Amino acid sequence: MEHWSFVALAYGIVWSVIVVYFFFLKRRYRKAQMELSALTSAQTLEEHEQT
Amino acid sequence: MSLGAIVVGLYWGLVIAPPDAYQGEVQRIMYLHLPSILTAYLSYFLVFIGSCMYLWKREKRDDILAHSAAEIGVLFTALTIIEGSIWGRPTWGVWWTWDARLTLTAILLLIYTGYLMLRSLIEDENRAASAAAVLGIIGFLDIPLIHMSVYWWRTLHQPPSILQPNKAPWENIAWPLLIPLLINIVAFLLLLFYLLSLRYRLGEIRDEIRMRRLEQSA
Amino acid sequence: MNLLKQTSLVFWKDLLLELRRRDSLLTMFFFGTLLLFVFHFSFDLPPDKVAEMAPALLWLAFLFTGTLGLTQLFQVERENHCLEALLLSPLDRGALFLAKSCFNLFLMLLVELVVMPLFWILFNLHGWNLLPQLFLVTLLGTVGFCVLGTIMSAVTLRARARELLLPLVLFPLMIPVILATIRCMENIMSAGDLGAAASWLRLLLGFDVIFVTVGILIFDRVIEG
Repeated sequence: MEHWSFVALAYGIVWSVIVVYFFFLKRRYRKAQMELSALTSAQTLEEHEQT
Repeated sequence: MSLGAIVVGLYWGLVIAPPDAYQGEVQRIMYLHLPSILTAYLSYFLVFIGSCMYLWKREKRDDILAHSAAEIGVLFTALTIIEGSIWGRPTWGVWWTWDARLTLTAILLLIYTGYLMLRSLIEDENRAASAAAVLGIIGFLDIPLIHMSVYWWRTLHQPPSILQPNKAPWENIAWPLLIPLLINIVAFLLLLFYLLSLRYRLGEIRDEIRMRRLEQSA
Repeated sequence: MNLLKQTSLVFWKDLLLELRRRDSLLTMFFFGTLLLFVFHFSFDLPPDKVAEMAPALLWLAFLFTGTLGLTQLFQVERENHCLEALLLSPLDRGALFLAKSCFNLFLMLLVELVVMPLFWILFNLHGWNLLPQLFLVTLLGTVGFCVLGTIMSAVTLRARARELLLPLVLFPLMIPVILATIRCMENIMSAGDLGAAASWLRLLLGFDVIFVTVGILIFDRVIEG
């Protein structure tokens, strides 16, 4: 059972990177969502003012 | 969503893997390494398809696909290199060797990192999309040529050193090892599609933001 | 034959402009020579080693010199908004691609014609009779470089940090050409260009053919986007 540490290292790095990327994506997604809703509400506000 | 399936798939792969691997523990890394590189190749193929479609039909969703696939492809390629390096250390005693596989993977990383940089350095979104699409196509077409040249280089000009790094692991795979390998491949593919769909939606939202901003300023 | 005619038209335009101002050609030439000097100081090789390293050093010098030419390639069009004018005209985009590639090829070949013998002199190499064969191989490699480089030069046209981005994007794609050219040259210098290097030569030819074709087909997408 030699070299277990290497295996652990490899698996550890891979999964942590994937998880980190996942959260990174989620965060960007949430930010973009907020930005979009801010934009849409601002735009609908403008349209209301124009009419 | 498919998240459940992925978690199951990944866990299954991990659990089955331990009891089976007996040719030295380090062999287990192959269960990560092979699926990673396959996923990366598939991603780059998607970049190619997306790029072709975008240049042909000019539909934004193809471009979003290409961009997303490139990002995820780079992720998995980087992982492949890290895994390969970690595998190399106990096997050959070095963290890095210029054998064909690792070198090729590194080149792939360079090409598609260049793709991502190209996109971020061009201001106009449409131009960036077109430019990146061309790179996506040419890069993919170049890959077989790069593959050939690097393999020839490494096999015809093998220096008189001791390393035997050119044997691909799949050339001598035993049956009991095949099952966890396949499971993990499937798991990684599921993971790919999941991450891809997430990234794709992000791209869609960003595009909508951009369109609305354009409308506003017009 | 319209494609050829259009190609030669654009090519002649660039050539005449260049002959008048000669800035690209001179900078490339001096840069190539400068690199030879830098290599000589950096590597400080014993005489027997030089012949081994020669192909690699030469080709490196050409790569960097060629990149200089590439960044300048569309400069003329950019400066006076000629690019829009060119695109508005019914000029075949493939012809534009061929013309630009040929022009860069022309510049590089001129530089190589001078730099190669210079290299032989500065580094005290023998085998002067091999130069024609070596030059032929260099020619094929340069074609590959110019073709792919022209595409990438157009692709990065609007990017920020363009001078940095162009090599970054181009060099990984050039690896088959780099490997093939240097291996062929090594073979020529150690023996004649026989057997072993033949497959490399075929690879090089294949590369050139493939990307000339791709370039012609894809260039309108590159330049208008």
